[in-house]
Amino acid sequence: MTAAPPATRSSEVASAVEARLTLDRRRRTRSGSELVVGLAIVVAAQLALSAVGGFPESWAVPLADWIDDARRWVINNQTTHWSFSFIFNPISDAIDWGLRTVERFLLWLPWYVVAAAGGMVAASALGMRAGLFAAVGVLYFGAIELWEESLQTVALMTVAVGISVAIGVPVGIASARYDRLRRSLRPLLDAMQTLPAFVYLIPVVLLFGVARVPAIIATVVYSLPPVIRLTDLGIRTVSPATVEAAEMFGATPRQTLRKVQLPQALPSVLTGINQTIMMALSIVVIAALIGAGGLGQVVLESLRRLFVGRALEAGLAIVVLAMLMDRVTHGAAGLGARRRRLRLMPDSLERLGFVRAIEGALASVDRALCTFGAVLARPMRHAPGLASLAGRPRWVLGLFALVVVTVVSAVLGRPGFPSAITFSFAPAIDWLVDWVRDNLYEIGGTWFGTGWFSDSITIYAVTPLRELFSADLAWPVVVLAVALAGWRLGGAPLATFCTACVAGLGFLGMWTLSMDTLAQVIVAVVMAILCGIPLGVLAARSDRFERMLKPVLDFLQTIPSFVLLVPVIIMFNVGRIPGIIASVLYALPAATRLTNLGIRQVEGEATEASRAFGATRGQTLRKVQLPLAAPSIMAGINQTVMLVLAMVVIAGLVGGGGLGLETVKGLRRTDSVGSGFVAGLAIVLLAMLLDRLLQAWTRRFTPVEGGP
Amino acid sequence: MAPHPRHVKGESRGHYIGPVVTTEPTPLECHQVTKVFGDNLAAAHSLLADGRDRQMVLDQTGCLVAVRDATFSVERGETFVVMGLSGSGKSTLIRCLSRLIEPTSGTVKIDGTPIGDLDDQELRELRRQRLSMVFQHFGLFPHRKVIDNVAFGLEIQGAAKSDRYERALEVLSVVGLGDWADHFPQQLSGGMQQRVGLARALCVEPEILFFDEPFSALDPLIRRDMQDELLSLQARMRRTLVFITHDFHEALKLGDRIAIMKDGEFVQVGTPEQIVSAPADDYVREFTEDAPKTKVITVGSVMRPLDGAVPAGEPVNLDAVLDDVLPRLLANPAALPVADDRGEVVGTVDRDRVVALLDENSRSGAAGAGRTADQL
Repeated sequence: MTAAPPATRSSEVASAVEARLTLDRRRRTRSGSELVVGLAIVVAAQLALSAVGGFPESWAVPLADWIDDARRWVINNQTTHWSFSFIFNPISDAIDWGLRTVERFLLWLPWYVVAAAGGMVAASALGMRAGLFAAVGVLYFGAIELWEESLQTVALMTVAVGISVAIGVPVGIASARYDRLRRSLRPLLDAMQTLPAFVYLIPVVLLFGVARVPAIIATVVYSLPPVIRLTDLGIRTVSPATVEAAEMFGATPRQTLRKVQLPQALPSVLTGINQTIMMALSIVVIAALIGAGGLGQVVLESLRRLFVGRALEAGLAIVVLAMLMDRVTHGAAGLGARRRRLRLMPDSLERLGFVRAIEGALASVDRALCTFGAVLARPMRHAPGLASLAGRPRWVLGLFALVVVTVVSAVLGRPGFPSAITFSFAPAIDWLVDWVRDNLYEIGGTWFGTGWFSDSITIYAVTPLRELFSADLAWPVVVLAVALAGWRLGGAPLATFCTACVAGLGFLGMWTLSMDTLAQVIVAVVMAILCGIPLGVLAARSDRFERMLKPVLDFLQTIPSFVLLVPVIIMFNVGRIPGIIASVLYALPAATRLTNLGIRQVEGEATEASRAFGATRGQTLRKVQLPLAAPSIMAGINQTVMLVLAMVVIAGLVGGGGLGLETVKGLRRTDSVGSGFVAGLAIVLLAMLLDRLLQAWTRRFTPVEGGP
Repeated sequence: MAPHPRHVKGESRGHYIGPVVTTEPTPLECHQVTKVFGDNLAAAHSLLADGRDRQMVLDQTGCLVAVRDATFSVERGETFVVMGLSGSGKSTLIRCLSRLIEPTSGTVKIDGTPIGDLDDQELRELRRQRLSMVFQHFGLFPHRKVIDNVAFGLEIQGAAKSDRYERALEVLSVVGLGDWADHFPQQLSGGMQQRVGLARALCVEPEILFFDEPFSALDPLIRRDMQDELLSLQARMRRTLVFITHDFHEALKLGDRIAIMKDGEFVQVGTPEQIVSAPADDYVREFTEDAPKTKVITVGSVMRPLDGAVPAGEPVNLDAVLDDVLPRLLANPAALPVADDRGEVVGTVDRDRVVALLDENSRSGAAGAGRTADQL
């Protein structure tokens, strides 16, 4: 095409261009002016209502009292009412029996058998190196003298995850088959994933009281969604051509499921189980609030008494457990894709001669052991009952060896965990805490240090925001502002929903606490976004930076959230700020990952086209990549908010105050279950409010789908 | 239902030597099969009954007429090709034949039994015993080894492992993949994967095989190999095949008869020769325009009836295509004798006849009125 030179441009073209520019200007002014008008309304309302202040206490609904009444009724009727004797108590007894059986069995096993079993499971899924790591990890439980607590947690996980899988996989299969079931499950699962973890604890506490069984039930409820979702997804994404082929060969629906759909969905199902395990582990500490015991209890008690070192030891045990289970289930999901060679060192070190030599030596030891085993097995082949062992895969022989060792130990008398290999690094950590407090709070006696950092955030961000929301702004103004935002983003329905949520906070009698929490959440989210999105952009633009960042993000996402508290407490002591910083760390990976992903997913052709037109890297980023990545980035922000909200209660454990503290109190003391429940409800309202607003906002960035 | 002997271990296979002319029922018959997608089926049907076209049905009811009044039958041992562009309804049609898609109306009879009346169990039994299908994107099971893919049909029927492996290995060697039994499908090239698909379909010894654009995902050279392979297999096994394609050349090459489909309806059904030499309308003619006519038109349709002396030379068969005689005609300006199947000379063919026909055909598209070879 040849563009007409400006001199000869016809007047029609000129006027068309002019009209377009005007339209564009008008559209911009309109969205700008809407914002101005909205702000003006809010300011005017505030001026008119400046005397009103926070939500009147007297309007609050005495929900907490009603719940305390319900709790009392439950306690009084637990032995007599039919719903307990026929429904809740039998469930509770069955779970309790299962838990105690698993726990007793694990504790009965000699420690070296447990370590060897852990090592073998990891080795068969991931190779020898992982196996050795797993065995050492299991030994760590004993070495820090938390053997019993660790196995209690393992037993709790086993039972909880077992129940989740036993419920989740069939439900997932059913939901893949019946669209109607899936449609009715979806909002439920969505809600379950949006709600912060501890919210499940409160109704469970109401029905089952405080003990290990309710902790398991809460864990099951919390960790159920991923296995349902991913089983459903896995079966639904099985290539329809293969299902059609099975049908064409005359397979019954059951045959199709068993021979075609489930095997193909298996990686997805295993990923679901993996996520379920990780979620279950992530509420180990919270579940300890209602008496789950085990490692969570140790962490909780230690944090409460500020034994930071001990908390870290127990926390690391949970991390080790999480890593083991995560890697092993991941490995199982990608089974067959990995090499099973005996390896001890990272692959990158194999260039070094001595590393190769060590690996080679280990490999030959492994081979020798196998040969030796085969030679040993040969005469056994003729022994009655043992014949079936011959020619079996290695793990069968391993299991057999474990059983033999266990029986022999049981006969000879089991040794306890040897005290010679125990150690404790808690004193060192406690010394470090003291040192940090003495030296970094005000470095070299100057104004600068972690103290200054946390004071600045408190003085310039958290406190003013909290005062603004809870005291300075009249409560109708807050409601109005939220309603306006809802109306602008999602019309009347969203505005109604948002108004109801905000007003609900007041009617629950949680106005001040909610505004306190809201202020902390906003500060944490802003910090997470300010750090996370630039990191994501950098990671998207440099493969090297992405590689460097990946293990850090992996680490932040894998470790249970409260473990983040420990280093933060070391740096900043207790109070609101460590809670906020832990939330930032917890939520950061979501913002970074989704920004990175969004930019990297922009089609290569679009980026290439932009470069072909001579755009600079900055121009390509601004005009092509960021706009196309916007939906993903918005999803990252949405997740950031949800993750920060999920940390509210955990932050409450270390002095975050607000709704979190109130909830923790409610779980800890049976006499304040009611107010804890109400505080939890308020967190849910906040979560739903922010989630819906953000989702409405996200939708505006989603490109128009479909064509003619 | 005609009792077709099922595979019994040890028994010889490949019983069909050629099209069998008996009184047994036609293997596959379709009568006015119609498939409408949408919710407002009743309204769509009454519009169809009034003879409205598919666009009008779509506009007025929102229903999509995928197949309309498809009527045809396929003889034993015959290869019936349905050719149409994408969206013409051919994939829907082939799925109606085994009720993978339930036809809205019309009947499909297999060996004389209307399959619409079968319950789930009977339908499964029918699919297990008599039908098989090869899919466009192979539809192989990625989690099963090649041999377990091939043996799937027998496994579903509950055959013992040793029996089904024996049979699967046999079929695999027929398609030239004997050494690949223990690989997974994704380790094979596209052409090899479709051979697995073919072996899987053949393994159950079906009477009727459905091919849903099986070669369209393959490279041109591989595609040609696969076509040749299918032809040679069919020459040996003589199954009843229904083959879907969007490639006119493929249809000409493989089909005993071809149905050309457009907008859910058959435009023309006939032998390749009939279609190439007498396209029913401009739509069909467009396909025939660059068709390799000399590979389709037979000597019989261009010969002069015998009048007088029989020319010298080896007689050519009536059914030979022009390609077979062109070298001889080009080398020798004299006419060649044409003989029927019994060897009796019934006519002559010479260079002028062939040149005139090819010339006529290449201009007929432009002239807009095709004359058939018979009219010459």
